[in-house]
Amino acid sequence: MAIRRFLPSLWGAPTVPAGQESVPPFSALQQEMNRIFDDFFQGTNLSPFPAAGGPAWAFHPSLDVKEGEKEIVIYAELPGMDEKDVELLLEESSLVLKGEKKFEKEDKGEGYHTIERSYGSFHRVIPLPREIDLNKAQARFKNGVLTVTLPKLEQAKEKGKKIPIQSA
Amino acid sequence: MKEPNLQKQTASNPAEMERTRNRKVYVPRVDIYETKESIVLLADMPGVDEGSVDIMLEKNVLTINGTVEPVGFPEHNLVYAEYDTGDYQRAFTLPEEIDQNKIEATVKNGVLRVVLQKAEKSKARKIAIKAA
Repeated sequence: MAIRRFLPSLWGAPTVPAGQESVPPFSALQQEMNRIFDDFFQGTNLSPFPAAGGPAWAFHPSLDVKEGEKEIVIYAELPGMDEKDVELLLEESSLVLKGEKKFEKEDKGEGYHTIERSYGSFHRVIPLPREIDLNKAQARFKNGVLTVTLPKLEQAKEKGKKIPIQSA
Repeated sequence: MKEPNLQKQTASNPAEMERTRNRKVYVPRVDIYETKESIVLLADMPGVDEGSVDIMLEKNVLTINGTVEPVGFPEHNLVYAEYDTGDYQRAFTLPEEIDQNKIEATVKNGVLRVVLQKAEKSKARKIAIKAA
């Protein structure tokens, strides 16, 4: 019975039953544990850039984000699409990537043996840190990989100041 | 745990072949469809171009091999990762009805398209019936 409380709650309901909150010794620890388990089992909650809903088989571009001293670079794998199929919107604190990967049907009388590639529309929101220079963002599309370069602002580079410690 | 919706999967045993490059290998996802004249194979291989894909045909095994060079700046730190650049490899066994001399391949926007023409003899034909 007790172990049940450690299992993830499927419906997002609190796992500690009412009336047990008054049990003092480990309840805070237990709640913390429950939260960790919930987050772990609901895997997608861990993703910092959650994808908008949609069925699991729908196309969902994979992203990599790399950071250098001067810029942040976002890479997205969009095979079979070109720059016309993708829309990039730069908002104040986020980058929105949306588009649709269309199912290419050519001539009649074809029968499919295997369909492993996924299709559909997608919409992803990538939160950006504040120090991005929005006017200097660049995007490039090559061989099915989209590269978005976001330069950092000048003042952001010299963040972090050393404080001298004086002896008393 | 919910299965992450990954677009490419790492190869478990990269096509039974020893590799000389220390890189990740992915199995490209493919669609295969058949028309009256041909069998068409489409493979998602983001990052490859026509110069970096090799297609080999040995007996009736068609092997596709794609190499992807890392993009960007090596000094950058990876702060968030859903994929990684790596090579692609997958092998297919072809049916006998394929004309092995007529295989065409193109690469566009990271998608490899291989058109395998059916051999003349295996195409559907109407058989004339002679009067006895």
